[in-house]
Amino acid sequence: MAALTGKERVMKMFQKEPIDRMPCFSGQGTVTVQAIEKMGTQFSKIHNDAELMAGAALTSARLWDLDGLVIPFDMAAVAEAMGRGVSLYDAAEGIIYPTVPNKWRDLDEISVPEDFMSKGRMPIIDDAFKILKKDAPDLAIGAWVLGPFTFGGQIMELDILLKGLKKKKEQTEAFLSQMTKVTIDLCKHYESLGVDFICVREMGSGTDLLSPRMWKTLIGPNLKLVFDAISVPSINHICGSTDMIIEMMHECGADALSVDQKNNLVETREKVGNDVLLLGNFDPYGTLTTMEDTAEVADVIKKCIDDGVDSVWPGCDIWPDVKKENMETYVQTVKEYGAKASPAVKRI
Amino acid sequence: MATKEELLEELIEAVVEYEEEDCVEAAQKVLDNPDVITPMEGVLDGLAAGMEKVGVLFDTHEYFVPEVLMCADALYAGLDILRPHIEKDDSASKASVVLGSVQGDVHDIGKNLVKMMFDIAGWDVYDLGRDVPLEDFVEKQLDTGSDVLAMSAMMTTTMLGMKKVIAMVKEKNPDCLIMLGGAPLTRDVANLFGADGYAESAGNAVSEGIKMIGNLRKYEKGEIA
Repeated sequence: MAALTGKERVMKMFQKEPIDRMPCFSGQGTVTVQAIEKMGTQFSKIHNDAELMAGAALTSARLWDLDGLVIPFDMAAVAEAMGRGVSLYDAAEGIIYPTVPNKWRDLDEISVPEDFMSKGRMPIIDDAFKILKKDAPDLAIGAWVLGPFTFGGQIMELDILLKGLKKKKEQTEAFLSQMTKVTIDLCKHYESLGVDFICVREMGSGTDLLSPRMWKTLIGPNLKLVFDAISVPSINHICGSTDMIIEMMHECGADALSVDQKNNLVETREKVGNDVLLLGNFDPYGTLTTMEDTAEVADVIKKCIDDGVDSVWPGCDIWPDVKKENMETYVQTVKEYGAKASPAVKRI
Repeated sequence: MATKEELLEELIEAVVEYEEEDCVEAAQKVLDNPDVITPMEGVLDGLAAGMEKVGVLFDTHEYFVPEVLMCADALYAGLDILRPHIEKDDSASKASVVLGSVQGDVHDIGKNLVKMMFDIAGWDVYDLGRDVPLEDFVEKQLDTGSDVLAMSAMMTTTMLGMKKVIAMVKEKNPDCLIMLGGAPLTRDVANLFGADGYAESAGNAVSEGIKMIGNLRKYEKGEIA
């Protein structure tokens, strides 16, 4: 039997069908400096050019032999398209991700333009997906979006939003409903471009910031609406503290759950059962960028598998400045140690 | 006439219950009763003590960041009333801190909580804001000769910038104490960068910052040297 392509492997995993080995990919950024150097470009340029964006994602995936890829790389594009500006840090030395400089300071000021999908860098992202669909038919092509709450914190000041949850509850709820609609529209748009999976990153909603009770009333219901609307495989990713909300995350209806290294994965697996796709949960910076010994990297990856993930995912974007040998060890360990069945996915 | 304990309790409760107007009122009462209580006592044993209680509520998962932010607003409402009336000791040089969020980081919740601690302590605070270019930290620190340089980066993607700043400041001013804070930082990473202190997350910034307030109160009372 011919080997599965990366796309087949990933898609079968999402369907919980038997596969040959654990897929190695992520719904968080996986672009690395080695790929950017190979392309002869700079990190600050790959966010603003469709060819470079698609090229950086694809070159990274090919370089490390990953099963999938994901774009865009930064979380500022939609806020920029809504007129909040963008800082691309063209002149800054090293790697700095784009940020949003002019957030709204009051819920009353917010005005979401109807045509944001055609503004700013949004058409560039569309074109990058089109390039990838043409150039990478063998890989799973993913999109990621921010969850409604985290996106709200991209277009308005986070502290004001957080206080609004308590002080202006009704108005904030209406705002979050509006953000939910934006998130759904964006997911449907990416679906129309042919993406294979969508990772929804509600990264600002862990219990480092919000109470489980607040999560239950203000975050969970909106995420459920988002996952109900997505028709391709979907991932509910939250970084930070998730132990207290993991069951509620599961109730939101995504095809898979993704958590970072703060989650007690063994307990999570017990809570949600073996039939749920779990992705995670290593610290990408602490593992791929800083570790000096590849044996340590292998141990981290093996622990994720032993703890019960169905695919080893970094808990955040892979910091682009990875060590070559660490990245190679990560991928190789997933392939070899992940040859055995995972809790939710059997092997061929 | 209200007793000192009653006045302090009003301040504490206003902070804990995040009632800004009550805090202003309680602070005004402190000023109206100079024979009973000093403004400094109001700050340390009222406002700061209230924030310590908030820290306990945060550590026990009764309060989360939204509540803490509102408590901080109440504290500042009281501090704005009391601070101008605290007698300055001109003979002693005031401690100072330069702080901000590193370039690429537009989050400042953690930074502002740390700032609160220095504001309570009455330090000279040079707040550079957020998304601050690295050279600005170095420039301001060298310019002011601050005792502390505190930098925050909430995103993994921005924290590497701190390493350069630390090296540049330490080279010219080795005595400057450097604090790092931000969600993606671990103690190992902070050590790797050569920093003197760190707070792991906005949550930890709350806990650690409040513990430092507790130490500050003990220090002011002469309980610790």
